[in-house]
Amino acid sequence: MSRRRPPHDPNRRKFLKSATLAGAAAVTRPAAASAQSVAPRANLKAAAPGPIQIALESSPPEKDPQTQTTSGGDFMVDVLKTLDIDYLAMNCASSFRGLHEAVINYGKNVKPEILTCNHEEIAVAMGHGYAKMEGKPLAMICHGVVGLQHATMAMYNAWCDRVPVYCIGGNILEANKRGNSTAEWVHSAVDIAAGVRDYTKWDDQPASLQHFAESAVRAYKIATTPPMGPVLLSLDAELQENPIKDAETLHIPKLSKVVPPQADSGAIAEVARLLVNAEAPLIVVDRMARTQAGMDRLVELAELLQCAVMDRFGRTNFPSRHPLNQTFRRNAVVGQADVILAIEMNDHWAALNAFHDRIVRTSQPLYKAGTKIISLGLRDMYLKANYQDFGRFSDIDMSVAGDGEATLPALIEAVKKLIDGGRKAAYEARGKRYAAARFAMLEQAKSDATIGWDSTPITTGRMCAEVYAQIKDEDWSLVGNTIGNTWPMRLWNIDKIHRWNGGSGGAGVGYNAPASLGAALANKRHGRLTVTFNGDGDLLYVPSTLWTAAHHRIPLLYIVQNNRAYHQEYMYLQAMANRHARGINNAHIGTTITDPNVDFATVARGFGVYGEGPITDPKELAPALKRAIAVVKRGEPALIDVVTDPR
Amino acid sequence: MRKVFNLFGATAMAASLCSGGLAGVARAQDVPPGDAANGKRLYLATCFVCHGRSGQGGAMNGPAPILAKTAMPFDGFKAQLRQPINEMPAYSEAVMSDQQIADVYAFLQTLPGPLPTKDMAIFKD
Repeated sequence: MSRRRPPHDPNRRKFLKSATLAGAAAVTRPAAASAQSVAPRANLKAAAPGPIQIALESSPPEKDPQTQTTSGGDFMVDVLKTLDIDYLAMNCASSFRGLHEAVINYGKNVKPEILTCNHEEIAVAMGHGYAKMEGKPLAMICHGVVGLQHATMAMYNAWCDRVPVYCIGGNILEANKRGNSTAEWVHSAVDIAAGVRDYTKWDDQPASLQHFAESAVRAYKIATTPPMGPVLLSLDAELQENPIKDAETLHIPKLSKVVPPQADSGAIAEVARLLVNAEAPLIVVDRMARTQAGMDRLVELAELLQCAVMDRFGRTNFPSRHPLNQTFRRNAVVGQADVILAIEMNDHWAALNAFHDRIVRTSQPLYKAGTKIISLGLRDMYLKANYQDFGRFSDIDMSVAGDGEATLPALIEAVKKLIDGGRKAAYEARGKRYAAARFAMLEQAKSDATIGWDSTPITTGRMCAEVYAQIKDEDWSLVGNTIGNTWPMRLWNIDKIHRWNGGSGGAGVGYNAPASLGAALANKRHGRLTVTFNGDGDLLYVPSTLWTAAHHRIPLLYIVQNNRAYHQEYMYLQAMANRHARGINNAHIGTTITDPNVDFATVARGFGVYGEGPITDPKELAPALKRAIAVVKRGEPALIDVVTDPR
Repeated sequence: MRKVFNLFGATAMAASLCSGGLAGVARAQDVPPGDAANGKRLYLATCFVCHGRSGQGGAMNGPAPILAKTAMPFDGFKAQLRQPINEMPAYSEAVMSDQQIADVYAFLQTLPGPLPTKDMAIFKD
């Protein structure tokens, strides 16, 4: 067989055409570029075609296939179904048109079902909120260059919050396969993950379908192994779109989930000894509980020891009204503690030290000298060099590597073995003191919430009290909150893991609305009443989240805490102005969202969502909430715009 | 005496100056007369950002204390503005005069403060 291409090979024809163009370019170089330039001759004629060129031009083109019976995208759908991925959130883009078509037709738009989003940041954040509530990731897909750049902030949030989001980016890797010069073709990348690698746990760019199958399962496994995090697969368009070759050789590997690592048994015994012997042990916890069992085990440990617990609210780790919950007595309980067990903390230092944001930044430990500080968790195994998510390095006496929730059962057993009857009276007395303090804290919170009760704008204390009064008898779930709003934690009975699912992680504005929607999507199948407090500034980043909520009929009570400002920055700006003694009357410039005021109820209605407001009279709040909850109970989203005092 | 001061603010304080003899009066004598109306104007232009329009408190990096009917003595209040502890930014004389601080202090005493919660149905759960 001849190794030469047949004369009618279309690629060969393109090559020749390119070569011809290159020659033409050489001919048309500017005269100045040629030392020996001469004037063009008139009546220049092209040379007569030779026999090869005549054959090329006169041969019929190779048959161009019109249809195909398989595609790589179909196989990819099979893999996603194997992984039990329920949803694929996306803003449509041509670089993944192959997989998109396979999902809706070959996959029947079931597992995964497409969630239509109008921004990639919404798609990722929906996955963020969904995973924290459902305990497993959904997938999102975007254009690997122009879409992924929109997605990046949400990916950083998920990475900081240790939440798995299964991200996919379409790409057109081979430049010789790119067509016309529109964005989807020319805006490809050698390595789409380069821009997000510092806040993803793993990424890959499969070169074949078998490679995809293995990387897809590997990515899922890595994303869902504590410490969890987002992953990214780059999918070449050719791989998605072209027919499957050698289908009989393709194999989808088995997914075996990693059992979360438990701490060393010797270390557990030592931690138990320190806790049992302590006069005032304290447990501080942040992103520990993934399941109700994790929360229950922490209660069991605390009750065994009758020790104080301080919840940093990265998740619902401990019931808010439990007598041992001393969260809002930080200075007292940290100052009294002689042993502190910090579980799955993101920032030990911030939890245990006082910091003063002054010209000369000062700090001091809240704990006394000699206090033993123990760290249990996987934080030390989850750091990247560039995009950071850590504060000051802490003085820790004992660092124990192990998943907090997975380690608690063994720690409980170790503690049980060491507790003897002689300690019981002292433990009970300790517990009674904490219980009295907790009761007093609740009464104080109620009293504090009444200050400015009838004021306009509405105080956040009144707003949260009114909302709780309407939802407390339901199986409610709070899935979003505004900066500095501690009223739900102070006033509400947060007694189940799904009552609160933590914040954004990376503090990226634009998280609350879509992440709340993702959590509401997960709650829908459990029949929970989902409620979220979202700042006006956050919603203005991603308002079209409301359209997605309406389109997919996701029930969610969305309360806009509308203080008409990026208020944290407003306060910072006042501090900066005071530092220079320039007066603080200008701090509203660039920080407030007024003139005009945003009418969020109208915005909601424009997206097909029930909207009420702006509500400025606190007496109108309860009736509005009742009407909105009725809408949510019908299975639809509803928004209430509450004009509030700053905090 | 403190209660009287809280209820009637700077006016009550002026009256107490004439009565003499009580420990509370001696403390009130240290409070310069303040114009609560001007204090309200100043407060709602500046302080409310962290402490709330009703003096209900709030949060910045840490908690911003409740100021409605503050029990902090005036000298301590003024010192906190001039040389604050924790996160609060300092208010120099150029930004807020002693008289303006007195006005704000007087306004804070006029705020309603907390309500008794015992009989509020909303808090029964």
